[in-house]
Amino acid sequence: MTDVLRASAVRTATRRPGSLWRRHREWITPVLLLAPGLILFLLIIVIPTLQSFRLSLYDWDGIGPMSWVGLGNYSELFADPQFLTSLKNNIIWLILFLLAPVGGLVLALLVNQKVKGIRLAKSLFFMPLVLAPVTVGVVYSWFYDPTFGMMALIFNAFGATPPAILSDPDLVTFGIVAAALWPQVAFCMVLFLAGLNNLDEDVLGAGRVDGARGFPMFWHVVLPQLRAASFIALTVTVIGALRSFDLIAIMTQGGPYGSSSVLAYQMYEQAIFSYRMGYAAAIATVLFGVMAVFIIWYLSRVVSAEARRDR
Amino acid sequence: MKKRSDVPFGTASRRTVLKTLAAGAGVAALGGGWSGAAFAEDRVLTINTNISGEGQRKLMAQFIEEFTKETGIQVQQNAMDHEGYKTAIRNFLVANPPDVCLWFSGDRMRAFVNRGLFDDMSDLWVKEGWADKVGALTTTVTVDGKQYGVPTGASFWGIWARKDYLDKYADGKAPATWDELLAFGDKMVADGISPFAIGTKDLWPAAAWFDYLNLRINGYDFHMKLMAGEASYEDPKLDAVFDKWQELVDRKFFIPNHTSYDWQGAVPFLLQGKAGMYLMGQFLTRNIPAADLDKYTYLQFPTIDPAVAIAEEFPVDSMHIPSGAKNKDLARQFIAFFYQPQRLALWVEPEGNIPTRSDVPVLKKDWLLEKGQAILQSAKSASQYYDRDTDPDMAQIGMNGFQQFMADPKSRKAVQARLEQARKRIYKQS
Repeated sequence: MTDVLRASAVRTATRRPGSLWRRHREWITPVLLLAPGLILFLLIIVIPTLQSFRLSLYDWDGIGPMSWVGLGNYSELFADPQFLTSLKNNIIWLILFLLAPVGGLVLALLVNQKVKGIRLAKSLFFMPLVLAPVTVGVVYSWFYDPTFGMMALIFNAFGATPPAILSDPDLVTFGIVAAALWPQVAFCMVLFLAGLNNLDEDVLGAGRVDGARGFPMFWHVVLPQLRAASFIALTVTVIGALRSFDLIAIMTQGGPYGSSSVLAYQMYEQAIFSYRMGYAAAIATVLFGVMAVFIIWYLSRVVSAEARRDR
Repeated sequence: MKKRSDVPFGTASRRTVLKTLAAGAGVAALGGGWSGAAFAEDRVLTINTNISGEGQRKLMAQFIEEFTKETGIQVQQNAMDHEGYKTAIRNFLVANPPDVCLWFSGDRMRAFVNRGLFDDMSDLWVKEGWADKVGALTTTVTVDGKQYGVPTGASFWGIWARKDYLDKYADGKAPATWDELLAFGDKMVADGISPFAIGTKDLWPAAAWFDYLNLRINGYDFHMKLMAGEASYEDPKLDAVFDKWQELVDRKFFIPNHTSYDWQGAVPFLLQGKAGMYLMGQFLTRNIPAADLDKYTYLQFPTIDPAVAIAEEFPVDSMHIPSGAKNKDLARQFIAFFYQPQRLALWVEPEGNIPTRSDVPVLKKDWLLEKGQAILQSAKSASQYYDRDTDPDMAQIGMNGFQQFMADPKSRKAVQARLEQARKRIYKQS
């Protein structure tokens, strides 16, 4: 497609020198090349997002007439105790999920050693990434089952009463985050492994010559070279924590009585079960606002990094 | 283009496949422009279904095949997941209506009728003379004297009980009153058995308890007023309901940690004897190994106040024609074809549903069905179920509240206040 465009562009340019095309091709070419992507982005992301903002100002059940309520959905939302619970859980997810890059780095350093059988260990650590999130959720639900589950068996073996993690409003979010961390740590491990493979041997050698070993070597020589990998791992983890939804839907459906819900799940519940599209859109807008903070931070980092490289 | 018309047989199947995909993705345009003249009837009848059981899924495919053979009309079935269908129907009825769809009768149907989304089928009822055959159940699909669908099958509710525990703790006598139920349960608790299995992770199983306690204590009329948003969730009449319910919770009548289990996850408690009973619809029969089925019996929910007329839960499924259907004549033809006594008899069999026509032949003598019919015959009126009788938004908040109350009875007042606040918002009252 782009080749055709370029070919025809070249032809036009040679046929009529000094034409409109020649004067404007500086900007027409990039615009034409970007157009398909931009149009799709506009249609699939930007317009629905704006529509969703608009919807959040209406009361709508999905089929009937829409009625304007202004900021009514928002004022109801901020007074809704369920919203505060969901927001609190989102923050718990966010903080605990930061363990994923750390855990991933430790695992990556561990399995990067040249030891016999390490390939097997590497594949085992990698395994949860291959599983669908639904599978992870189901497996962990079975594990946590307070009557028939493996954890119950272990506790019973020691004569203790197993905690009902998914039934306890104080523990449930931690139980789900633990399940979610399993594949997330593996994902970060893969990112760091890729980074470790690209370490500059010369820099490492220079470090060795200067007598760096053990932790100082890691901290001052290896880690700075993993900057790019850490940045990606952190960003992906933050976004992953904020859009957490699948495991909650599988493991608890937001329960018991909404205590493990997060914004994304509450939005789904309001739209799908309660048919409150406007209210759900208001939740989505708030979630968008929270995510936007991180996205802006991410973009500014990327832009400034590019600016540095250009210089 | 040419290649396609070279393979006449491949075309048909490939077209069907593509159309399914296209319809599923909402890109109906993909399938357009291909219709060859291979068939006598050019129009294709579309049916959207939400069948969850294997048996009925096979039957629907079989009926469609027979229908095509008999009439030459091609049928396109869009089979959807049962839960996802509840959301999808709001979109497809407006944006891309099929010719026939499955749904639930009663309030769930009325919501669409009021918005003009279901077609009036009274003409077909008159032509086929169904009113005499369907009898009282006609009311489930009637709004303002007009029929908007056909009832296809009904579920019924009661208490599944282990016969061995009934013999051991109640001398084989089914508890008929509240006190007998408590006495029976207390003996089980003393032996470390939970009287009732329940899985409230799904939320809706808790609603059965609310419905039955309210029906038995306050009666059908008050219950339906509450369902219609005309009575308060803080009405003093409900105190007795929550009192009785709390009595069960306090006596440890329910399995521990029931919020960890969905309704199917709680079944092993009954099967393994960790629990003695399960308040559940007849469809639990699918979850009990066939060889063990004779170890269980089905009881009517006990009487609490003898002065209150007996009412039972009786959810009725139904089949409708959307107002926006393109082939309403074909849809009527299909429904008339489907709604024959012989086919209906096959249709209700796999789920153990009660047939909705009086002239449906009995294919197999079934003790469960007989129990169900006996239970229903003793009832003066029937509700459909909490999440079918009340507004979906109210149902979601209500069932969440019931789950919380069962897990933490101290939250009772807070739950009632929250439900009442929701009722006022939903039914626009202050």
